[in-house]
Amino acid sequence: MMRCFAFVTLLIATTAFAETPKANNVRKSLVRITTTSQEPDYRVPWNPGNVSVGIGAGFVIEGDRILTNAHVVSNARFIEIEKEDDPKRYPATVQFVGHDCDLAVLKVPDQSFYQNTAPLSFGELPEIESEVSVFGYPIGGEHLSVTQGIVSRIDFQTYTHSGVDLHLAVQISAAINPGNSGGPVLQNGKVIGVAFQGYSGDVAQNVGYMIPTPVIQRFLKDISSGHYNRYVDLSISYFPILNAAERHALGLSDADGGIFVSSVEPDGSCAGKLQQGDVLLTIDDHPITSDGFVQLDGARLKMEEIVERKFKGDKVKFGILRNKQRQTVEVELEPNWPYLIQAKSYDVDPRFVLFAGLLFQPLSQNFMEAYQVDDLRVRYFYNFFVTDELYKEHPEVIVLSNILPDPVNAYLSDFRFQIVDEINGRKIRTLNDVAAAFAQPAEYYTIKFLGNTRPAVLESAAVAEARARIRSNYNVPREENLADGIVP
Amino acid sequence: MKCLFAAPLLLLATMVTLVASNPEPVTSRATPKDQPVPESRKDSVVRVNSTNQEYDFFRPWSKKAPINRRGLGVVIDGGRILTTAQLIENTTYIELEKADGGEKATAQVQVVDYEANLATLTPTNPEFLKSLQPLDIDPNVKTGDHLNLLQLESNGTPVSTQALLTSVEVGKYLLDDMDFLLFKVSCPVQYRENSFTLPLVKENKLAAFLMRYDPRSQTIDAVSGPVLAHFLKEAEHQLYRGFPRLGIGFSPTRDPQLRRYLKLQDSDGGVYVNEVNRNGPAAKAGLEEGDILLAIGNKAVDPDGNYTDPLYGRLSIVNLTTAEAYSGQQIPLTILRKGERKQLEISLFRVAPEDYVIAPYLIGKAPRYYVLGGMVFQELSRQYLREWGPNWVKEAPQRFVYFDRFQSSLFPEPRKIVILSQVMPTRDTVGYEQLNYLVVTRLNGVEIKNLDDFAKAAQSPINGFHKLEFDEDPHEIYLDAKQAQQDAPELQKLYSLPALQRL
Repeated sequence: MMRCFAFVTLLIATTAFAETPKANNVRKSLVRITTTSQEPDYRVPWNPGNVSVGIGAGFVIEGDRILTNAHVVSNARFIEIEKEDDPKRYPATVQFVGHDCDLAVLKVPDQSFYQNTAPLSFGELPEIESEVSVFGYPIGGEHLSVTQGIVSRIDFQTYTHSGVDLHLAVQISAAINPGNSGGPVLQNGKVIGVAFQGYSGDVAQNVGYMIPTPVIQRFLKDISSGHYNRYVDLSISYFPILNAAERHALGLSDADGGIFVSSVEPDGSCAGKLQQGDVLLTIDDHPITSDGFVQLDGARLKMEEIVERKFKGDKVKFGILRNKQRQTVEVELEPNWPYLIQAKSYDVDPRFVLFAGLLFQPLSQNFMEAYQVDDLRVRYFYNFFVTDELYKEHPEVIVLSNILPDPVNAYLSDFRFQIVDEINGRKIRTLNDVAAAFAQPAEYYTIKFLGNTRPAVLESAAVAEARARIRSNYNVPREENLADGIVP
Repeated sequence: MKCLFAAPLLLLATMVTLVASNPEPVTSRATPKDQPVPESRKDSVVRVNSTNQEYDFFRPWSKKAPINRRGLGVVIDGGRILTTAQLIENTTYIELEKADGGEKATAQVQVVDYEANLATLTPTNPEFLKSLQPLDIDPNVKTGDHLNLLQLESNGTPVSTQALLTSVEVGKYLLDDMDFLLFKVSCPVQYRENSFTLPLVKENKLAAFLMRYDPRSQTIDAVSGPVLAHFLKEAEHQLYRGFPRLGIGFSPTRDPQLRRYLKLQDSDGGVYVNEVNRNGPAAKAGLEEGDILLAIGNKAVDPDGNYTDPLYGRLSIVNLTTAEAYSGQQIPLTILRKGERKQLEISLFRVAPEDYVIAPYLIGKAPRYYVLGGMVFQELSRQYLREWGPNWVKEAPQRFVYFDRFQSSLFPEPRKIVILSQVMPTRDTVGYEQLNYLVVTRLNGVEIKNLDDFAKAAQSPINGFHKLEFDEDPHEIYLDAKQAQQDAPELQKLYSLPALQRL
């Protein structure tokens, strides 16, 4: 082990001739993070969930803070930090977490921790083919490990932590394994990325990904307000204009770039500003090519990258062609929410209402994963929630997800995985509506589901009689959780 | 049970093909249950060999490779052969073969009902049936009766295996959502030539037709005698009108809390009508969602949706308006609406597959299509969705599967769904190569409700462009009308399309 370490140091020393000795620099900054987390079980949403332990990396940055991946500290109950040359374990807390960009900032309350640490500073987006070093604790080892590689590709990637967010990511050829997560990727002594995801060996080899500094800087700037506002989004979809007939029909010349706005989300940033059929020609004066790219910092990047670097309330300016007329449109940027239905969520307790043994839960990624639902309507609502604008009528899609069998619900088993439409004539838009409807005194509670089903009918007297029985039989400590919804 | 059947059915079909291609005759050992058949019965069964070729809905201008199915048919009166529809679906050539001696003759389909899975055939030369003895139908066999399953050895010797009618229910025939009275028959069946469809007889009368066999439980699903009798009686009608259906969905009212809420008397029984298909007989008679159906004719409906059948006991009410009733017949329905008892006179009929927004099946019919500038447009049908294979409900484009399942509430007005199914790349479609499975809403500003609308609108481009609109991204695209027209012959040649449209 020791010999291996010396070799590594040597290697770095040779490549980084005439610079600050980086190994020392990194030793003073790299930390090993042990997280005890508790992941809720969406099938038993009142339970606290299973406890598990994971290991990742992080590094000290200016302001006595530690930067790591969000997924290293998600659902954390207890976090311990170790430094390279210090046997002590320091408890830490999460100060800010961005699940959409897989980054988190930790604080160690014990100020003595920061003695003998040196914060790392950030560099720029690296050049393709340039060499990088990845530091971390792959497969959980006790000591710092380093791997080396080159920058292979820079483009937009899905960040698998949430599963739905796409941001700039850098593909590197250095091995990245579990335990590398959150570790710094260095070039010329500066952090140019945070290692965060890779493929298992059966899919691809020597393909690892790091979060580049534009994403990191954006996160750090966003939280400087004291609150993480998430990424903003145009909330539109667009289509490249590669077809000559389409160019001419829209009134574009062959020399023009531009992309076709194919839909505008009615609640999103561009609602009322852009409309379907507009052609986006420029974004903040950068010409947009017909396949949706712009030239930025010497690189050819997706035009969304301009928006990616902005914050809630910032503006973006489009040069557009509408009905063959050129005009300028300014858009104030807001985060998008409907897409979150398909995002894995963390650090929240599952929302639910239990009534007469009937469990009502909003549709979400965690829900779909837990239940593996086959029901066609539920799958349709999940997959087309955004594209078919289903959120307009059902901001939360409330599913009767499970039935705890009891005499009160003996004839209701067929209603499992039906989507609630009305309760006692009241339209159900969110889980809070469900709780409110059941809180109203009534002789009967009639639940109408979407599509063609009979109503489910519950007599309030029978529900009252069953309540304590169900709670005790099924060990239910609480009958609802209405906190942490995604609907603004 | 239902799941189990799919695989064995396939197996049976492959087995048959295997045997057929084997030059060596397959000798089979008689099981102890096999018995010699009385001479008189032998001459009522013929082999039916059908070459079937279905249309390829992914390439609507082509047919798939032909397959051979070999089954049995029963000679019935009027010089006809009765067999299952499945045996001859998408047939291109039917050959009858006598059990003894192997004399062959061609035949045509006279009447076919894919829903009831039955067909009658007539030989081109009526003389062919002269030496054969027609069988009558026995629609009165009941649970517990012993039947005989007829098969033929490769040398033509008839074999009969004893079978027991274990239960009678309303269940799935050939198509989803189209249930009929079904016989469950317990019987060990050996694979033989022409084993695809087999008659079940009782005392020299035809009692049922095997359509599926599950070798694990040794259970036959058979087309029941009453369905056979209904089919043959309806076949006498000038225009075959099929089996009627009410066109409703219903759910039980067993739940006492629901019964009290709906103020139902315990003596009433009744089912809750939760769906009324807008083009079906029930809708035409004024039945509404939320009605409680208490009786059909003079048969009381129990809270589970059963009635008491004189022959079979408790049976789903679906039977009352399928096998037990005829198209064109009037039946009174007793319902409860908002606490009030009412009578509705219902005039029964069958909704033909082409009258659905998304046809539940299109067997033997050429799919319609229209190719415009390399883009292929078709009308959405379940037959098209089935091209994704046995697991089509999960594999096919989910939006389409959803549209199909919930079509009666999603599309109240009669129409078809025209889709862009695929793009065959040409210079006209640059940038559109990845588009597929999109619903066309308009072409050149004209609302598209079927492929004829589409073909008509394609004649009127706007300012030299075809403007295509879809109900999802990219929502709108353009083609150069003149160029697409110029390129059409080249496109047709390049992709070897026999025609650029079939309407």
